[in-house]
Amino acid sequence: MGSSEKGSKDVMSDIPTFSVENLQNNLKVIQNSRTFLSIIAGVLAGVIGFTGLTGFVFYFVVMLITSVGLMAKAGFSADLYFDSWNRVLFDGFLGGLMSFVLFWTFAYDLVHIF
Amino acid sequence: MAEDLVLDTAIRDWVLIPLSVVMVLIGILRYFVSKLMRSSPVPDAKTVKEGQVIIRARNLKAGANFIPPKSFRSRRFYYSNEENGLLHVPKGQGTNPQAQMFSDPNMAMDMMKKNLSMIIPQTLTFAWVNFFFSGFVAAKIPFPLTQRFRSMLQNGIDLSTVDVSYVSSRSWYFLNLFGLRGLFSLILGDENAIDDTQRMMQMGGMGFDPSKSLSAEKDGLDIHQHDWALPRFELRAESVLRKLVK
Repeated sequence: MGSSEKGSKDVMSDIPTFSVENLQNNLKVIQNSRTFLSIIAGVLAGVIGFTGLTGFVFYFVVMLITSVGLMAKAGFSADLYFDSWNRVLFDGFLGGLMSFVLFWTFAYDLVHIF
Repeated sequence: MAEDLVLDTAIRDWVLIPLSVVMVLIGILRYFVSKLMRSSPVPDAKTVKEGQVIIRARNLKAGANFIPPKSFRSRRFYYSNEENGLLHVPKGQGTNPQAQMFSDPNMAMDMMKKNLSMIIPQTLTFAWVNFFFSGFVAAKIPFPLTQRFRSMLQNGIDLSTVDVSYVSSRSWYFLNLFGLRGLFSLILGDENAIDDTQRMMQMGGMGFDPSKSLSAEKDGLDIHQHDWALPRFELRAESVLRKLVK
């Protein structure tokens, strides 16, 4: 996981002031870590041999752990780095699913089918 | 119908793994070829000027609440007055992007290059897969699917009794095509993904019209509600300081 850069936001102000580049960089970091973890999760699920619903549950669990990890990285105060919590929780969720399915299938086939 | 098929290990060694590896390598090759073929466009002074004006107007809008109302009004007047404001486009002077594109062969050439670098490798790989690997099952996805997915996953196999979760090699190619996007964005950096979206934009919009975005920015400035933030900051500072003193 890359380091999240601090967005220059005034914590207690009610007027949102963001540095757009920093925000974009933070979102990119989230995207990358999610993609990376979904690939890893896919290979893991394939090697362990999950089938059917178990695999998808595994994906959700991994993504949940990722969310918690990202939040811990942001020091549990997401509004310092992002414009909303949803960004940390849901960004790149569906994009990772496709990679997950591909690598899950690949690893599963290599290990279990043949 | 539910009994398992036994797949030959030769299929794994000679179809599944090579196909995936080739897809990855072709993706990387495509990235570097398109990087080499990309010509840096010669900036046109007028376009650059208009772009800079738009950026300045955007900055004014973003930071509007941090300057007094009077300053904001005078800046807004500077940008959007009807006589010589920077954002004001006289009627009939907007250039037609379509005509501009046809008059400038470089632009069309550039777009063609981009499209070709996308289409050629895909067609070639698809033909290669079709020629060598058509007509047999290459993989099995580890989750059940309904009959509806048969045409998607068993492209090239005309048996209705095979379980749907078996994937033909041609469909494995498509799975790779979509699933490897994430991997590419990791190993090639974001430039790859940005390039793709830019290409989409170009296809959709066919170039952008500077005068249109100028007038859009002008409208945005005109309706912007100014709300000076700084007076409240004193109150805030007071509360913060009081908290510190306590």
